[in-house]
Amino acid sequence: MKKLLTVMIVLAMTLSLVGCGKSSNTSSKTLSIGVFEPASGDNGAGGKQETLGMQYANSVTPTVAINGETYNVVLKIVDNQSATDKAPTAAQQLVSDNVSVVLGSYGSGVSMAAAPIFEQAKIPAIGASCTNPAVTQNRPYYFRVCFIDPFQGSVMASFVKDQFNAKKAYVLNMLGEDYGSGLATYFANAFKKQGGEVKSEAFPEGTSDFSAYIQNAISYGADVIFAPSATTYASLIISQAASAGCKIPITAGDTWESSVILDAQKGTNLKVYVSTFFDENDKSGVAATFVSGFKAWLNADSQHKTDNGGNDIVAAVSALGYDAYMTAIEAIKIANSTTGEDIKNAMPKVSFDGVTGHISFPNGGDAAKSDAFIKQADNGVFKFVKRQSGAS
Amino acid sequence: MKRNRIPQFFIIVGAFLLLLAVVLMLDNVPGVPVMLLIVLRKGAIYALVAVSMNILNGFTGLFSLGQAGFMLLGAYTYAILTVPVENQALVYQRYPNGGIGFSVTESLGRVLGQPGLLLGVIICLILGGIVAGVFAYLIGLPVLRLKSDYLAIATLGFAEIIRAVVQYEKLGPITNGSNLLSNFTNFSNFHLGSLKLDTVMPFVFAGVCIWVITLIINSTYGRAFKAIRDDEVAAEAMGINLANHKRMSFIISSFFAGISGAMLAMYQASVQATIFKAAMTYEILLIVVLGGIGSISGSIIAAFLFVGSSEWWLRFLDNTTVLPNFNAKLLFAIIFAAIVVSIVFLVVYRQNKAQKSRPEAVGRGRKILSLKLSGVITLVVGTLLLLGDLRFLISPDLQVPLLRSGFRMVVFSIIVMIVVLFFSRGLMGDRELPDLFRTRHKRL
Repeated sequence: MKKLLTVMIVLAMTLSLVGCGKSSNTSSKTLSIGVFEPASGDNGAGGKQETLGMQYANSVTPTVAINGETYNVVLKIVDNQSATDKAPTAAQQLVSDNVSVVLGSYGSGVSMAAAPIFEQAKIPAIGASCTNPAVTQNRPYYFRVCFIDPFQGSVMASFVKDQFNAKKAYVLNMLGEDYGSGLATYFANAFKKQGGEVKSEAFPEGTSDFSAYIQNAISYGADVIFAPSATTYASLIISQAASAGCKIPITAGDTWESSVILDAQKGTNLKVYVSTFFDENDKSGVAATFVSGFKAWLNADSQHKTDNGGNDIVAAVSALGYDAYMTAIEAIKIANSTTGEDIKNAMPKVSFDGVTGHISFPNGGDAAKSDAFIKQADNGVFKFVKRQSGAS
Repeated sequence: MKRNRIPQFFIIVGAFLLLLAVVLMLDNVPGVPVMLLIVLRKGAIYALVAVSMNILNGFTGLFSLGQAGFMLLGAYTYAILTVPVENQALVYQRYPNGGIGFSVTESLGRVLGQPGLLLGVIICLILGGIVAGVFAYLIGLPVLRLKSDYLAIATLGFAEIIRAVVQYEKLGPITNGSNLLSNFTNFSNFHLGSLKLDTVMPFVFAGVCIWVITLIINSTYGRAFKAIRDDEVAAEAMGINLANHKRMSFIISSFFAGISGAMLAMYQASVQATIFKAAMTYEILLIVVLGGIGSISGSIIAAFLFVGSSEWWLRFLDNTTVLPNFNAKLLFAIIFAAIVVSIVFLVVYRQNKAQKSRPEAVGRGRKILSLKLSGVITLVVGTLLLLGDLRFLISPDLQVPLLRSGFRMVVFSIIVMIVVLFFSRGLMGDRELPDLFRTRHKRL
């Protein structure tokens, strides 16, 4: 009995603390935007970088005018723990916080798991880097500012054909990872359609020795390796390919635009190419302004810098996070309202120049993107190679 | 005895119906916090899976760590069977012509309406349980010869293998490979007139399953399980077939784990193999241990407390909070100090009393406080927390220190550690809820 009592007391206290935490919002007019991102789990690192982009955007545009009144925009951040069983609760938390729009998430699975909850609550969600095509299909309340995996796969297929005149491709991804295996399939399909030949292999989770896979690629006589995978495996693949004397160019998708890849490639002669969402040397100047502003913002706060992985290299997902926030603000301005339904209806009218290119939603939930940007990792920096459009 | 049992049965059924009525009300009255409903739903499902694990670990004394694997089998069986035909192209978009081409719930629902939907769901839940049970039988043949840690490792390995098989590319047209299965029949498809049944359904399913489990535990089979747990040699000498009963316990446990896995899929409205990792088994094991190994009501209580604190009550710790003014800061500091002081006082007081009443301490007298190591640690940690609180009060900062994304899990782990330290046999030990209301009554 006494034990039960103790538990009850502790519970009551915790609850009272919750009450305390919530009663602190007293400023005049506020509008909440939910940030639905992983801060822990497999995608914790990427999720944090994406959140940073949103936080920076919030510091650049902290207010929005609705009906002539100025609203302060407050970000409500929840951690979806990169797991589809934790995501619904995190999403529900945002719903009960009465957010007007939701941004995120990094990782398509959690976005798909949360979509029904946002839909039921009539809150539009704007994904930043969830590239799986299923995220927005049949989901009228889900939007996204990035391109999708089939597009990325076909872009990389036409890039390797144009650049290396590749006839044979070796495709490597992790078993059981939906992002990697999806992108690998789309690449393989597009490459075969151009008349190429593909050999696909998958490595199990936790693999640390890739020499056998690299030898397979060499003995297959591949002209190019396509290895969309998490960055932890990427650095192993690159360094072991270099030590095996492999001369085949290695290509991958957007996750590889990371300082980990630069460190791994540094000091080797390997050609490593990635497709990504933005180019800071863009003529419009939006991207250049973003990059310099974001770097200064990161360096001003040690916590932000730690969340970015301890350096001030701008990740593409941060840029997408920034664009997702700006898209939300544009939609709110057009809707002239704080209710989710109005904002959702305003989304098709959104049209502006973001960091990752022009953003508009002419056909449903996906932003119209015509090009991806190809960059090459070269001794510690990503060099811009070309804009590449998909196979026609 | 016989006279006693019948009213008790009615009391339990009555209490359960009352509980359902309350939950139904919570579901439909506007203004109820959504998070409460979420915690109730997930808590009911976790209660079932924890109880199912308790059959094996608590009542039969077999240490198995395969629960996540069996849940995965149940979840996938359910999801594959209930994806509506029109959605199959969407769900299986990586695999042209994927899907099984029919949906049990959809076909039954079209013919019979809501009752048909319910019937379909029940059939698929049971099928999910049966698939898990069949696999348990097969894996049990070699694995149940092992004991304690070796059994744990073998079942853990099995769970990982199942996950890898489900994700296998060549099975993609059925399991959707490593991609998400979604759009299938879930709890929100049920209505009673205009009443929502989102939270009632998991309670009904979990309640019925747990009731069946209680019946099994209190039957001759259940007593045989307990005999095996207490002493295998003695049990065998009494004529209990060890291999048979162990296998039966393993299959029953897996069957209900399969059902709860299917319910978890319904609750999430989507299912992906990657979540059924060893970490999920550990969560369930944690619930079983916290609730008390060998206590059904303990597992249920611990499941709700676990889900509540991991998903709801502690979430504010993840947000950086800036207090609006000095008064709020003062209030916060005082409440925090009061909590720390009262917890430390409670621990120290109880331990002091217990230590002093021990026979070897009586002669020594004099000492004001006599504490075990854990009491001293509590005292020191409490003092440090108070000093930190004071420092925060003096400092000009209005932002509450330490609160940032990720801090929730730290606090959660600390709470779990404290509970295990102070309740070394779990919240309930091996007692059940009714035992608490009886006057000191010795169990055999």
